[in-house]
Amino acid sequence: MRPQPSVPAAATGVGGAVLLVGTRVALWLGVQLLVAGLLVLAGVTATGGQALNGVAGWWMVYGALVDLGTLGVIGWLLRRDGSTYRRLLGPPTAGWQVAVGALGVLAASVPAVVFSGELTSAVYGTAIAPMFAVVDVPALASAVSVLVVPLLAELAEPVAYLGVVLPRLERRLGRPWLAAAIVVLMWAVEHAFFPLLVNGARLDLEFAAYRVGSVLPFLAIWTALYYALGRRLLPIMAARWVFNGGTAFALAFGLVK
Amino acid sequence: MHRRTLYRLTYLAAAMSLGHHLDHVIRHNAVGWPLTGQVNAFTVSLVVYPVIATSLMLYRAGRVGPGFWALVSGGGAVFVSAVHFGPAAVEPPEMILGGYGPSVLGWLAFAWLVTFVAVLAITSLYETRLWSQQRQGRHATRPATGVGTGR
Repeated sequence: MRPQPSVPAAATGVGGAVLLVGTRVALWLGVQLLVAGLLVLAGVTATGGQALNGVAGWWMVYGALVDLGTLGVIGWLLRRDGSTYRRLLGPPTAGWQVAVGALGVLAASVPAVVFSGELTSAVYGTAIAPMFAVVDVPALASAVSVLVVPLLAELAEPVAYLGVVLPRLERRLGRPWLAAAIVVLMWAVEHAFFPLLVNGARLDLEFAAYRVGSVLPFLAIWTALYYALGRRLLPIMAARWVFNGGTAFALAFGLVK
Repeated sequence: MHRRTLYRLTYLAAAMSLGHHLDHVIRHNAVGWPLTGQVNAFTVSLVVYPVIATSLMLYRAGRVGPGFWALVSGGGAVFVSAVHFGPAAVEPPEMILGGYGPSVLGWLAFAWLVTFVAVLAITSLYETRLWSQQRQGRHATRPATGVGTGR
């Protein structure tokens, strides 16, 4: 194993990375299947498929449970390794650097927005992408999805993949580009698991594949920017918060047409 | 280390630019002089190669630094985005996606363009960070003058 002096010192075994990604996927699946099962048992819906499609409408809310679970695992790994959450965020970054960097991250995300838009048009025509079309929650849940969930997502998701998983893989593989490619792929594949949609009697695998394809350019760009910004996570987290929070806001106020 | 990365990113962006120009030539839509008599965005975009060559020479000679490169890369990203993705795009994505017989080739060319713009934007941010670090380094090493020398 070649030494990687630029990799944060907190990075240890790859087992922690597997645990973290596994926890996220298991939580996405677990929450959806559990609630769908309860809906069927309670007689609210007749079939499991209907129940899953019903649960899908809440994905921007129950995502908070996945991120809380992620933060729990990150906290456990940090305690075990004797490290701190702050160290995962990279070198010290001044407020103006975070602001300027976030603007740069948003600008650099434009190609991904365009690609994702074209992919949506190619697969679904002029219709709204299914993960936005299915969202149907009461006002209080909408408020949570706008004010709480995007913040939790930024504290958990990029920190998990770029702050915890990536350095561990770099250390194990000794090739940053390979580690980054694996992280981007894993991160994209995670999106296939939420929301689970059923078409007819089967899981909508075309939608799952679309989810992976539509987020892949975003994740590739953000991962590349993590390196370009000297492993500073805060500008990426801030930009993603604006992006995801803005999307949640637009959905809550019916601005997505 | 940073110098080598900057060179590599510049060569990558130049190669991606060349690939995108080849895509134009193969599709033969949205092309201009020297392939047709019309001077348009395609013709203007060819200026990027002398700009890169000149910039590389100036950088090697120590006349320009990362700040200059950030402007070149950022300017390139803005130009290509405006031409292809902007509200007044002269060559919108549909012209690329529908420019080939098999749709997979159209998607390949479009993915290449998206990656090209992303590489330019990421490179520009990287160079901006280097420029900022260089400036901070200069401020830190500059000797304090004028302190306590009231007239």
